[in-house]
Amino acid sequence: MSAATIRCLLGMLGTDVHSKGIRTLAQLLRDRGVEVIYLGEHNTAAGMVNALLAEDPDVLGLSFSTATYVHYTRELLEKMRAAGVGDVPLMLGGLIHRDDEPELRAMGVRGIFGPGSTTLQILQFLRDVTGKPLPV
Amino acid sequence: MAVSQPDLDAQGRDWVTAVRRGDVRRCARLITRIEARDETVTPIVQALYRQGGRSAVIGITGPPGAGKSTLVDKLIARYRARSQSVAVLAVDPASPFSGGAILGDRVRMARHNADDGVFIRSMSARGMLGGLARAAGDALCVLDAMGKDVILLETVGVGQSEIDIVRHALTVLIVQTPAGGDAVQAVKAGILEVGDVFALNKADAPGADRAVAALREAVEFRNDPHDANAWRPPIVQTQAPDGIGVDALLEALDGHLAHWRTHPEALRRRRLSQARSVLTDLVRDGLHRRHERGGESAARFAGMLDDLVDRRSDPHAAAARILTGLT
Repeated sequence: MSAATIRCLLGMLGTDVHSKGIRTLAQLLRDRGVEVIYLGEHNTAAGMVNALLAEDPDVLGLSFSTATYVHYTRELLEKMRAAGVGDVPLMLGGLIHRDDEPELRAMGVRGIFGPGSTTLQILQFLRDVTGKPLPV
Repeated sequence: MAVSQPDLDAQGRDWVTAVRRGDVRRCARLITRIEARDETVTPIVQALYRQGGRSAVIGITGPPGAGKSTLVDKLIARYRARSQSVAVLAVDPASPFSGGAILGDRVRMARHNADDGVFIRSMSARGMLGGLARAAGDALCVLDAMGKDVILLETVGVGQSEIDIVRHALTVLIVQTPAGGDAVQAVKAGILEVGDVFALNKADAPGADRAVAALREAVEFRNDPHDANAWRPPIVQTQAPDGIGVDALLEALDGHLAHWRTHPEALRRRRLSQARSVLTDLVRDGLHRRHERGGESAARFAGMLDDLVDRRSDPHAAAARILTGLT
């Protein structure tokens, strides 16, 4: 691997089990040359922060299909900052309602990819926040 | 023989101190730099190697889907129950087309994420060629220096490079399943020779007893029957998701460590053979890097390729010319 490889941690928090979207994204990113560390479902904020510390990724992505995402995202960002990894760019995907976007952005969420988002937008985001190119 | 000390500046010494203190963030960042082939970290790794070698490193390999990560999850729980700290280095293959990867071993070990006594790191085999063994070896130095009691090094065992990686371990656990094929497959697999302990996972699947018998025969054949001191690799039947057989597996792994303690001359031989392969890998990797950086000019290299295709030269002669230029 080279210094330019993008490492991206993907996972889900809480009781959300709708993982089809994030699994599909994992494969799409892999096929664009991204190293995806896949955490799966049912993570706690504390567990995800520890994974974030150990894996040292360039970016973190969460998928939500339940209405509790504002609460979970806030909890995670607080724990990330407390652990000194608040600077890792966070992107959200899934059923994120437009009305919640300002609040999420104010919390520090860098990328929001709700319904209608395209893979290309996500790839552009990854390039922008990491400053690294994609090989494919 | 005079051995030069690593050239460590104040910043490097600070990194060494942080790693030895178990600073998770710094350790993780150091492994990232190792993976990125950042050569400025080499003096740090050198210093860590010289102070290291205390962790029990267990290499775990076997075919995809054999249940390695699930077994690792269960083993972590057993070690933690004994208050031993654990590090896991999980190496997964990369896509040969994009170079990307999905590193998913952590999914099976997710319940340990919130445990500060467990450090799990995923590593991709991406485009590293022989450099993978080097990166894994350097990452092991970091985990060892963190003071972990046990390091579990997991790789998908399908090729020579994976075998090279598990050779970093003092105990090699091979995970097979009844679906692993007949006795011929077991013999020709090539990974059997490096196994110290065998787990026949999915032992509730049909054919488990026959698979154990085939493994038993293949493993027994490699031993000298007249050597009473030789380690006889145990074969343990496991059903990883339910934890069945995991205690017996832990006992077998402990037994192998105990064997090393009572057979120091055999341990010395193993360590010497490890040192040889680590050193050989490093030399090979160094030559490879110099070659990549263009020991030959691009035009001269292209000319050599032309000569090969047109049969004006041959690969042996061309390689000899390049190697002469590199040394």
